[in-house]
Amino acid sequence: MTFQIILLAAMIAASAFAVLARDLLKAAVALAVSSLILGVIFFRMGAPYAGVFEISVVAGLITVLFMLTIALTKQGDDVRESKTVKIAFPLFFLVFALIDIFIMRGILAKVPALEGAAEAGTFGEVLWKERSFDLIGQLAVILAGVLSVLALFRKRDRHDHE
Amino acid sequence: MIFLYIGLPLAVSAVLPLVGKASKRVLPDILANTVLAGLLVYAATGARALLAQGPVIQQVRWLGEAVNIRIALDGFSLFMLMTIQLVSLCIALYSINYMEHYGAKANYYALLLVMVAGMNGLVLSQDLFSVYIFLEVAAVASYALVAYGLGAEELEAAFKYLMLSVVASAAVLVGIALLFGMTGALGFDAVAAGLRLLEAKGVAGVAAALFLMGFGLKAALIPFHAWLPDAHPSAPAPISAVLSGLLIKVSGVYAIARIAFQVFDLPSALSQVLMWMGAVSIVVAAFLALGQADMKRMLAYSSISQVGYVVLGIGIGTPLGVAGGLFHLFNHALAKGLLFLTSGSVQQATGTRNLDEMGGLAKRMPWTAGTNLIGALSISGVPPLGGFWSKLIIIIALIQTGEAALAVIAVLASVLTLWYYLIMQRKAFFGKLAEQWSKVKEAPFWMTAASVLLALLVIGTGLWFATVFSSWIQPAADALAKGF
Repeated sequence: MTFQIILLAAMIAASAFAVLARDLLKAAVALAVSSLILGVIFFRMGAPYAGVFEISVVAGLITVLFMLTIALTKQGDDVRESKTVKIAFPLFFLVFALIDIFIMRGILAKVPALEGAAEAGTFGEVLWKERSFDLIGQLAVILAGVLSVLALFRKRDRHDHE
Repeated sequence: MIFLYIGLPLAVSAVLPLVGKASKRVLPDILANTVLAGLLVYAATGARALLAQGPVIQQVRWLGEAVNIRIALDGFSLFMLMTIQLVSLCIALYSINYMEHYGAKANYYALLLVMVAGMNGLVLSQDLFSVYIFLEVAAVASYALVAYGLGAEELEAAFKYLMLSVVASAAVLVGIALLFGMTGALGFDAVAAGLRLLEAKGVAGVAAALFLMGFGLKAALIPFHAWLPDAHPSAPAPISAVLSGLLIKVSGVYAIARIAFQVFDLPSALSQVLMWMGAVSIVVAAFLALGQADMKRMLAYSSISQVGYVVLGIGIGTPLGVAGGLFHLFNHALAKGLLFLTSGSVQQATGTRNLDEMGGLAKRMPWTAGTNLIGALSISGVPPLGGFWSKLIIIIALIQTGEAALAVIAVLASVLTLWYYLIMQRKAFFGKLAEQWSKVKEAPFWMTAASVLLALLVIGTGLWFATVFSSWIQPAADALAKGF
């Protein structure tokens, strides 16, 4: 239990750092650390598939993408950030913490549940046999992301004649 | 093959950027429009015939072997598929001319098709988690499309939209997690069966509240509407038309209706909440629309108000009320699509969206002005156009169930709607033509053609409303009320 709390606290700290860090590279690394810890929490709570995905995709793949993007941006592309972020973030954090303490905990303790085995079967079975429709949806989300990047980072050429 | 509704647009959107390298304009135009036209024809013929024997659950096969992709088609989803393909096709036709000056047309169509695939997937899902995933597919594509112009205003609107949409997705996801934790199931019917077994009204209520918040944000119902008046006007006109005409309805109204009826079996408390959320949205957004000087912003507020009618109708829960709500969904999709397209034509011709700067444009743009008037009259509920019948049905259903107060609100707000649309007509199209617009020309061919097509559909729906109602709307309402 204590270890779990330490993990959760570390995850929140890493996430907060990712939001507040001015240096994008540090923010990306902090995000990776945060999802790495989340992956470990998934493992410890008996959800190995979620853990594998969290670590491989979020901590691994996405961090690589962030790093590549940051490497490609020019130095001096500083964006001035609004001061409200510094106030807004702790405020949101506080609200979420209060909701968690006073509402979610009460609800979760009272949630009745039917007998059922989560994540039954092997990894391959779950992925290919149980949730193949979601897999198509996930591919579509990635496709949408790639197309969005292509669209938003295109050269703005108002006279691109054929 | 119902799976085509998801697979085909996705496959085409994946190759479109490559096609765009070979041909910047012609091929992407033809490809995107052909796909949407094909899917529309199939919805009207093949898929409808498929449904003749009752709801269909289709098992997808890959190289002869069954894979576990099960999609379901019933009257409600077929009605939504029809609406989605119909409006998207008109929008793609309009884009042929309109998107010329934005550049990168192939990319634009690719994103549009992904969004359509996401909406189609959502409509065909029978499972809470698939609903969530396809919700995200459509949403991710729509963020990029809102920001497509790459100006400061567009980027800010897209960012605001993204932030609020993420909150919505999180609420939906927590709701799904709660139900999954309780019942160990994700399919609509399995979750419903589990909930009946557990009799845990309190927790189910919390899950329902989370869904209301999440899908309410997606549908931009008041008080969750803050993002819409920024996002919809900032997007390119055809995308404003898709967002207002389709996306808020599919990812907001459709999802909440499906889940309220099929998972929660619409308890009376939920019905009351839906009705009052609808009624508040109708009135507040109508007043907000009155004060707008920006043409597209006025239309955006009007969307919130009209979605309120749809939710009010569905929330009644009686067969007539649901049918009225769905009919209004259809009428609003056509008319609001039309209004946003014509506003795009006006903006492209004059370079402004400010109603105070316009005036007398009907003299220079007769087709645009005429079609805009038809859309405005339909939404305001002027007979014999489609919007009149759907509002009438909703009001009759309200009186039948003894909700006289809500019926009065619906009638009075309709007058307000007519009022602000007449303000728009007077300021933009009627009156004296200002000197600076004397050289304005009518919109190019495809833009006018798409507007005229939608206007004809609006008129046709009104004139042949009995046929449209009995062949498309009634089966949809029956399917929703009966459950799959």
